[in-house]
Amino acid sequence: MNHDQKHQKPKTPTITLRKFVLSDVDAFMSWAADPRVTRFQRRDPYDDPADALAYITTHILPHPWYRAICINNTPVGSISVKPAAGEDQHRASIGYRLAYDYWGKGIATEALKLTIKAAFEELDHLERLEAIADVDNPASQRVLEKAGFKKEGVLRKYVRLKGESRDMVMFSFLVSDAV
Amino acid sequence: MDEKTSEINQSRQFHEVTLREFELTDVDDYFVWASDDRVSPWWRWDTFTNKEDVLAFMEKTVLPHPWMRAICLDGRPVGAISVTRRTAEHQCRAELGYVIASQYWGRGIATEAVNLVLGTIFGDMEGLERLEALVLVQNVRSQKVLEKAGFTKEGILKKYLIHKGKISDMTSSGIVFFCDLIYYYLDRLFEGIHELMPNDEVFFNSKLRQLDAQ
Repeated sequence: MNHDQKHQKPKTPTITLRKFVLSDVDAFMSWAADPRVTRFQRRDPYDDPADALAYITTHILPHPWYRAICINNTPVGSISVKPAAGEDQHRASIGYRLAYDYWGKGIATEALKLTIKAAFEELDHLERLEAIADVDNPASQRVLEKAGFKKEGVLRKYVRLKGESRDMVMFSFLVSDAV
Repeated sequence: MDEKTSEINQSRQFHEVTLREFELTDVDDYFVWASDDRVSPWWRWDTFTNKEDVLAFMEKTVLPHPWMRAICLDGRPVGAISVTRRTAEHQCRAELGYVIASQYWGRGIATEAVNLVLGTIFGDMEGLERLEALVLVQNVRSQKVLEKAGFTKEGILKKYLIHKGKISDMTSSGIVFFCDLIYYYLDRLFEGIHELMPNDEVFFNSKLRQLDAQ
């Protein structure tokens, strides 16, 4: 092994994005049932695959933009883009989750980059992508920064998570940043 | 109010800012700022040109609003202030908005109205922990009102809202219950102490006379 190889970071595996299908439920449980992943989510970890199946059916499949993050076509996480309600259709927010075993490999960053490109191409009138990360979730803040999001500020007691009002860091990626 | 205090109030030309619910009979006063080209650029609505439209707006939007008040100067509406609560997991926060007729700008009325809201809103809205305000980056006057009332400017949200057809940058300011409000309560406490004290000069002079006489 030469000097360069010794100090290289492990390569991020090739990832693809695709729509979910019902048979993805087992893969879905690999992150949705994990309290380490759901820690900063509103929901508690799923116990029952039947509940997960209901969620995929009622929430994921009809969603305007919801994708499985895949390695070799197997989902290891998900990423979604939700346009703002009402008049402000130029604005959409991003959320993502990744199975714990796949953290720290640059996968979320790569998924974000692919999503940013796709969102600005596919969603009419989109000018602003935004994402919020809990102040106590520095890993997610780093992912957003590495993907090119800019930190705009800390919005205090912005959203209730599991019975507590949380301070959130607001990030944005503008269409002008995509050049 | 005793004689001494009312004397002091008169000599200071005291004007009182109060809040109350709107009534349809306020339409004439509402029309003053709703039809003002100096005011409407800062708001999403276009300048109103007739009172019938203002009346319809008051019926449809103002009166049914869960928390909206007339800002009154010596009992007469000179503006409006509203607090709009968010839903679901965002129930901990509410958005503040206010408008003052342009002939009353620069007199601290908006700041006083915001202070009056801060005094009651966290009691009125159970579970509310954050009051926030989004202000156009160009609207420096309004940002100063919030600053004086104790809000923290948290950042600039770029291309956040569509304002008059243009995608605009907004400053986001917030005040959280209860930590930020400690300064608010201290200010009110000092104001209250000051009001209870007789005219300072007279008080100290009479005290000095008492000491001289001893």
